[in-house]
Amino acid sequence: MSPRVLAALVALLGVVLIAVAVVYWVDPASSLPSFFPGHEAGSARHHVKHGIAAFVVGLGCFVFAWFTTGPSSSPPAPA
Amino acid sequence: MVHDRPVEQPAGTGLARPLHPISYLQGALLGLLQGVAEPFPVSSLGHGVVMPRLLGWDIHQNDKFFLTFLVATHFATAIVLFGFFFRDWMRILKGIGRSLRDRQIRDDDSDARLGWLLVVGTVPAGVLGLVFEHPLRSLFASAASAAAFLIVNGLLLLLFERFRQQAPRPDDHLGDSDERIARLSWRQAVGVGSAQAIALIPGISRSGITMGGGILFGLSNEDAARYSFLLATPIIGAAAALKLPELLGPVGNGVRGPALVGAVCAGISTYLAVKFLLRFFETNRLTPFGIYCIVAGITFSAIFALGG
Repeated sequence: MSPRVLAALVALLGVVLIAVAVVYWVDPASSLPSFFPGHEAGSARHHVKHGIAAFVVGLGCFVFAWFTTGPSSSPPAPA
Repeated sequence: MVHDRPVEQPAGTGLARPLHPISYLQGALLGLLQGVAEPFPVSSLGHGVVMPRLLGWDIHQNDKFFLTFLVATHFATAIVLFGFFFRDWMRILKGIGRSLRDRQIRDDDSDARLGWLLVVGTVPAGVLGLVFEHPLRSLFASAASAAAFLIVNGLLLLLFERFRQQAPRPDDHLGDSDERIARLSWRQAVGVGSAQAIALIPGISRSGITMGGGILFGLSNEDAARYSFLLATPIIGAAAALKLPELLGPVGNGVRGPALVGAVCAGISTYLAVKFLLRFFETNRLTPFGIYCIVAGITFSAIFALGG
């Protein structure tokens, strides 16, 4: 897989994870999709920490994509 | 030992609750303990769980007020660690900024590489901590369990020393401490960082795990300690900052005074402990702490088994 394709996929994953984070912050546990960790019927609490975790990993995906599409070779270290 | 604590009677409820669930003296002692035990590889959480039980205090690690109190002491620890390594953090943050601007982490930019090693070590630990903190704390909440895990921690420290790699020597010309730490691989940094999550179990030391990971991957004790302290700052600071609203909100009522005293004590003792440890590890190893944890764990376990 070329670095650019990999970067695009990882960036897409980053977008999804940040969207997931927003869902965690906005919706109470009862309104989360049933396949989300933390879904709990009848619960009014918000899973803020789950949202933070998703946001941080999403941000990490963007950073990874940023470096992956940067200059590939490093200049030699000064002697 | 039973402590007389002032009690208020909420109007109309008929229920009594302590005005100060933690006394100022308890706050000061717990703060001093936290400040010393956080950088030392002996588990601050484990000692924080065991000490109230040994002294007969009515404080348990899952009490809401105790968790709120701990926010203050951890926040103080993080601020002191950040202040202690302030110049290093400024270099590291500039390095991260440079690498983002250039879109590459240059081999000769040890500040940037060290910064990203700290990031990749912190993120998995932070995510694992967010997800598993509550279940792990609930599962291993008892003082007896903390004492048992202290023994495990001691054995781990001895094993780290037993299986250590040859650390660089001054004549290896591998640069200063940060340059040597920056030679860790990404995989090693993720491994050491993720392993910090094990320290959510009271009795297992976060700094012990990170120092041990460092020496397993070829760092000297001094460099491993420095790496451990740098790695501790963002994770302790972020965890405390996340819960700071609890201390400032209604849950913090009756705790804020003792928490402030505890935070000051934790700050002072953290500073002294870090200063001591950086000098100690210039010539010493983890072994004394491993032996201490085993002896303390066995002693505490015996006391608890005998009904103490």
